[in-house]
Amino acid sequence: MSNVENNNEYSIIFSGVKKAYGKTVVIENLNLEIKKGERLILLGPSGCGKTTTLRMIAGFEEITSGDLFMDGEQVNDLPPGERNIAMVFQSYALFPHMTVWENITFGLQLQKLPKDEIAKRAKEAMEILHLEGYENKKTHELSGGQKQRVALCRALVKQSPYFLLDEPLSNLDAKLRQKARTELVKLHEMFKPTMVYVTHDQIEAMTVAHRIAVMNQGRIQQIDTPYNIYHHPANTFVAGFIGSPAMNILEAQVLNKCLVIGQSAVKLPQSLREQIAAREKVYFGLRPEACTPAFGDAMIKGKVDFVENTGNLQTATLRLADGASLYVQDSHQDAHLEECTGVDFAWENVCLFDAETGVNLELGGK
Amino acid sequence: MKTNLASWRDEWGYHLLLLIAVFLMLWPIVFMLSTSLKDLNQVFESTLNPLPFPPTFDNYTNVLENFPLLTYIWNTFYIAIIVTLSKALTSVLAAFGFVYYDFKYKETIFNGMLLTFFIPITVLIMPNYLLMAKLGLLDTPYGVMLPSLVDGMGVFLMRQTMRGIPKPLLEAAILDGATPWQILRKVVLPLIKPSVLAISILFFINSWNEYFWPLLILQDKSNLTLPLALQMFISAEGGSEWGVAMAVATLTSLPPLVLYGFCQKFIINTFMQAGVKG
Repeated sequence: MSNVENNNEYSIIFSGVKKAYGKTVVIENLNLEIKKGERLILLGPSGCGKTTTLRMIAGFEEITSGDLFMDGEQVNDLPPGERNIAMVFQSYALFPHMTVWENITFGLQLQKLPKDEIAKRAKEAMEILHLEGYENKKTHELSGGQKQRVALCRALVKQSPYFLLDEPLSNLDAKLRQKARTELVKLHEMFKPTMVYVTHDQIEAMTVAHRIAVMNQGRIQQIDTPYNIYHHPANTFVAGFIGSPAMNILEAQVLNKCLVIGQSAVKLPQSLREQIAAREKVYFGLRPEACTPAFGDAMIKGKVDFVENTGNLQTATLRLADGASLYVQDSHQDAHLEECTGVDFAWENVCLFDAETGVNLELGGK
Repeated sequence: MKTNLASWRDEWGYHLLLLIAVFLMLWPIVFMLSTSLKDLNQVFESTLNPLPFPPTFDNYTNVLENFPLLTYIWNTFYIAIIVTLSKALTSVLAAFGFVYYDFKYKETIFNGMLLTFFIPITVLIMPNYLLMAKLGLLDTPYGVMLPSLVDGMGVFLMRQTMRGIPKPLLEAAILDGATPWQILRKVVLPLIKPSVLAISILFFINSWNEYFWPLLILQDKSNLTLPLALQMFISAEGGSEWGVAMAVATLTSLPPLVLYGFCQKFIINTFMQAGVKG
């Protein structure tokens, strides 16, 4: 542990952290190392423990057991106000009785900074976030997007090394969200604080993160770059959670050098045969966009249930012989997906998962 | 025919009921006002006629000239303002503790405090009186104030209001390094100001109108509060001075009425909040 404490590369370290409310254990054994200056996204479904993790960093949730280090210092019992953290809340948490200026400078005034320093910092931050001219407005006079920028601004003026964001964009409409995402990344590039960002929106996670920690039921399922999370999901949960529509995960029997998927037998390539031969069953994972619609003879045969057209893409749902469904995505607008008879695929796009544990066998894709 | 009756009932029936209720409640006030504007003959000749004819202000001039009204107003105000400030302060502080701190037996203590609502005042009068006597506070304004410096209902109402403040607001302040005192002063108080004002007015009106407890404690004429002074006209001293008595009564009830009129909105909001969120 001592070498971890002194490691400067990591700025926040969870070491065997457990969080329980009475007898309900929310986080079992969290080990997470967040690098200095990185954008780490905690991603997962509701109730997976991501917000609790963030709130433990902020100091709002006590740690039941284990250790939390920030910059090498154990902070389990350090009060939130002494952790030098800036945070953006989901509801923005702007003080309704104060003006924009008062909101932004509130923290600095509590720190008793000199007046000109406060004014300088606030003006700079407001300029970056295009908030000039709003100084004297009350928060109820602002739109959702403006409120969000004031909340960011309030966090920014603190010039804190840690930037925590709890679903900061979830109250914005789709168009604003996209813009805010880009601004957020630019802002981070300017000041490079250690950023921990909680979201359940995978697009947000993929576009903002250096690394994503996918969580489920209080455990980290995988922590890696957005690329690896997408292309090499650690298990069926991650595979099924990331991507829209999610990865197709089908039960496959191993039979005589073949995989039987929905009653279609697909010949295994030489490289995989020996590794899989001992198994009876695996899960076969294939991204919808890695499926090539086949018209005629197909590797996996199926019937089209229906086709959705979203303008740039067509998504077909295929019903396989055993009743399982398979999503196929195609960007060719002139393809008549409703006539397709099945799909072809390349083995390098396939993920195979252990039938019992759901763990990626890392055979197909690599 | 039935539907006509039903619609008549909906449109007018309920209003009629409410009008009757309002009349019953307002009648004593109308009676008080009109009697204060009648001379003694009129009072006995047309007791139930609410219109004084001709109206006379003799009673008011009489009161203002021969009656130490200012002393009584000051006595009443002095007690009411200290009781109000103390109750408001203790209610806000206690509610802040109940809402934002976690401590052992928090719920038990709070429920214990709620229980005090249900203790009849008559049960408390004896021990309180003996206590005041032991402390040597009989016939002093402090003896009137002391038992009512804290108010369970006030704590309850303030707690309900504070619970309505979103938690992230306080967490944002905590992260900025605000101390509990700064949070209370700079975040919580500005947000609950209307409710604090509303209960303060209620405390003030209640203390202003209080009759029974001051009656037990105060004896010397120069210490009396307005409701007690009023008593002098109706009982032993002058059973027939109805006009003057009503003029004093009108003057006595003016300040609370005006206060309520100005702050009606806040008061109703505070009780609505307690009702909806409780």
